[in-house]
Amino acid sequence: MTTTPTPTPAPASTRGPTSALTGTGPLLRLALRADRWRIVVWALAVAWLTVVSVQSYDDLFGTPELLASRATLISSPAATAMAGPGYGLDDYTLGALVANELALWVMIPVAIMAVLAVTRHLRQPEEDGRLELVRSAPVGAAAPVVAGLLAAAVGVLAVGATTFVGLLTTDLDPAGSALMCASVVVVALVLAGASAVASQLAGHARAASSLGMAAIGVAFVLRAVGDVRGPQSTSVWTWLSPFGWSQATAPYTENRWWPLAIGLVATTVSVAVAFALAGRRDLGRGLLHERPGRATGRLRGVVGLTWRRQRTSILSWAAAVVLCGALVGLLADAITDFVADQPTFDELFGAGDPTASAFALYSVFLGVLAFAYATTAVGAVHAEEVSGRGATLLALPVQRTRWLGAQVGLAAVAAAVMLLVAGLVMGLTAAASLGDTSRIAPLVGAAAVTIPGVLCVLGVAVLVLGLVPRAFVVVWAYVAYVGVMAMFGDILPDGADAGSPFTYLPALPADPMSWPPVVACTLVALVAVALGLAAFRRRDLQA
Amino acid sequence: MAPEQRFDDAIIASELVKTFGPKRALDGFDLRVATGEVHGFLGPNGAGKSTTIRVLLGLIRADEGEVSLLGGDPWRDAVALHRRLAYVPGDVTLWPTLSGGESIDLLGRLRGGLDPRRRADLVERFELDTTVKGRAYSKGNRQKVALVAALAADVELLLMDEPTSGLDPLMEALFQEVVREAAGDGRTVLLSSHILAEVEALAQRVTIIRAGRTVQTGTLAELRSLTRTTVQVGLRDADGARAALAERVHDLRSDDGHLTFDVEATALDEVLAALPAHGVTSLVAHPPTLEDLFLRQYSDELDALQVPER
Repeated sequence: MTTTPTPTPAPASTRGPTSALTGTGPLLRLALRADRWRIVVWALAVAWLTVVSVQSYDDLFGTPELLASRATLISSPAATAMAGPGYGLDDYTLGALVANELALWVMIPVAIMAVLAVTRHLRQPEEDGRLELVRSAPVGAAAPVVAGLLAAAVGVLAVGATTFVGLLTTDLDPAGSALMCASVVVVALVLAGASAVASQLAGHARAASSLGMAAIGVAFVLRAVGDVRGPQSTSVWTWLSPFGWSQATAPYTENRWWPLAIGLVATTVSVAVAFALAGRRDLGRGLLHERPGRATGRLRGVVGLTWRRQRTSILSWAAAVVLCGALVGLLADAITDFVADQPTFDELFGAGDPTASAFALYSVFLGVLAFAYATTAVGAVHAEEVSGRGATLLALPVQRTRWLGAQVGLAAVAAAVMLLVAGLVMGLTAAASLGDTSRIAPLVGAAAVTIPGVLCVLGVAVLVLGLVPRAFVVVWAYVAYVGVMAMFGDILPDGADAGSPFTYLPALPADPMSWPPVVACTLVALVAVALGLAAFRRRDLQA
Repeated sequence: MAPEQRFDDAIIASELVKTFGPKRALDGFDLRVATGEVHGFLGPNGAGKSTTIRVLLGLIRADEGEVSLLGGDPWRDAVALHRRLAYVPGDVTLWPTLSGGESIDLLGRLRGGLDPRRRADLVERFELDTTVKGRAYSKGNRQKVALVAALAADVELLLMDEPTSGLDPLMEALFQEVVREAAGDGRTVLLSSHILAEVEALAQRVTIIRAGRTVQTGTLAELRSLTRTTVQVGLRDADGARAALAERVHDLRSDDGHLTFDVEATALDEVLAALPAHGVTSLVAHPPTLEDLFLRQYSDELDALQVPER
């Protein structure tokens, strides 16, 4: 969007010079005002979880011996793929452990927050028509973009600073904590910059945030591959990923600040590209143009409509879940070799099979992705209702239970199918890498046994939608809780994970199969969905 | 249309109350719409028009009061009743990735099919490009999509909530034409609006809502008896004119050779005929606005003129 400045002199009432940045200050204040609670919640949640995790690691691995055995465990390729480049494994301290195993999982949510903030400030106001109103005021063309990016940066910095303050209460070296928090901030800024470019390319806000999320996924996979191929950031793959740059700082061990310069340069370049692109597009349109649709429709009903609306989301999430399954399967031989080389494992874990334990954890990770998808699907139902499209359909001879049921049913089926396919792919790739076809069935089973847990989370989402739709954000809090508990429940205080279905489900293939929790979780899920549907039938539709 | 319905009221609502937190959106509201009529539903923004229509659609449930729609309960029998009605919201949101044509056909199929000839005819007359994606339509074009979908359906009742918002004057005229055709086919129309002229052009009977209450209901003729034109006239002989008009007009005020008064539509001819004798120097007349009408509803001196409620 370019403005053509007219040569007429500014009216006498205009105070001060005007530029492309005029109005940035008020717009930034507005954006921060809209975001203030979001920023507070993110900052406190991230800082709290980080501090609690550090303390738990400290409690669990309090002695050098325990830390050394932990280092052995975490240097397995499968663990490396989910952790980091493995600095300081020879002398594994609490700091080295935190930088290696925890830092990535602080970076990811903050990066997600940054991506969502950028599209929310850069594209959503265009779609709503708010930006038209803003731009009609004496506001420079670049001001909304600058204000939006600054608001996202302020949010990221607030999270980083709060986390740093929280870490001061732990035994960790403050200098290392400062570097780790700076690394978190920088990787989030890089992805915010990438998201700013995506916001110029995409045709609409939702596509822009999807592109930003895909960038996070690609960056994660690049560093996973890189860290497995070359420890301590020696692989080229690691250096292709912003996570790789931020993890190469090696807080608490090497304490290098220079890799952050790469991230800052990348951020600057992508923001500059975003500004250049912003000048080339029209308000409300992306640079990638949309094709016209068909003049007549073939959609027949609610299910068809839901599939049409959700298919991109379903297929992208399925691709992510299946890709993760394949990655784990391909690493199966590396995991097994690693275990065979480490006789201390038997002493450490008794009769347990560490390979099976690793697969059990990865299967739950697939489940976490699947219920995150399922929650977005129920969130989309809520968005349909609030937008008025729900009312348009429910003013037709369409039963409420059918409208909601079809969407929930599709989400449940899609989540189950993506898990089964991912389990099968994980089994097949593991069988291929190990030359052992007996691996296939247990791994399909391991993925399948997470389905009741996924359905429980889906049930909670439907229940909240039916009873208190205004509080739908609670569902996301529950999703974050279950995700953290499923992945890190072992290191967190006892009983903290009591509200997560995955606490009760058997951790296949490490544990023996146990039907009662599977049946119980399925029943809980069915009851929650039924209650949610019944409540939805009885309540007023939201306007 | 079932013959036994023809002589019944299509909509009967009595004593409706609906609260949203502390706000009483409907506060003892009454509405009767006879089968086959175009019923105007007038009120300022926030008066409770949309809330009423959402109650009639069974999207929300009234806290108190009785509602009957096409002989059924709009909350309990929602699905069965929706086969027989179509709804046009005032602010249409479409599926951003579906083209207008896809949205029209989806809505038609969910209702049990629409008349393809009527669809084609309406698309042509409204000059709607059906290949445009939902997110790319302007407000007026989104409105057209909803209008085509509703008017192409074979239904007994049309519930329209400020359906012409965003339409240009040409399309507004076309809208009036197609609603007249629908009424000619024997359909009942509840047309909510805050534009008096639109309702005057289409409706046989009118209900006026304000602050969740029915303030007026009656035929258009009855309503017109309440509508007055405000006239400001400059006169060389203002005092003489004042004496001559005093019995025929309302709110007569004089100010430095100018007279300002309100005059009933029925007395307009007589009053204007009387003016030239007193030397007219300027004349401004403006028609009654809906707001004037509401103001009148609350003006004690005019209570006597109120049309008895049905």
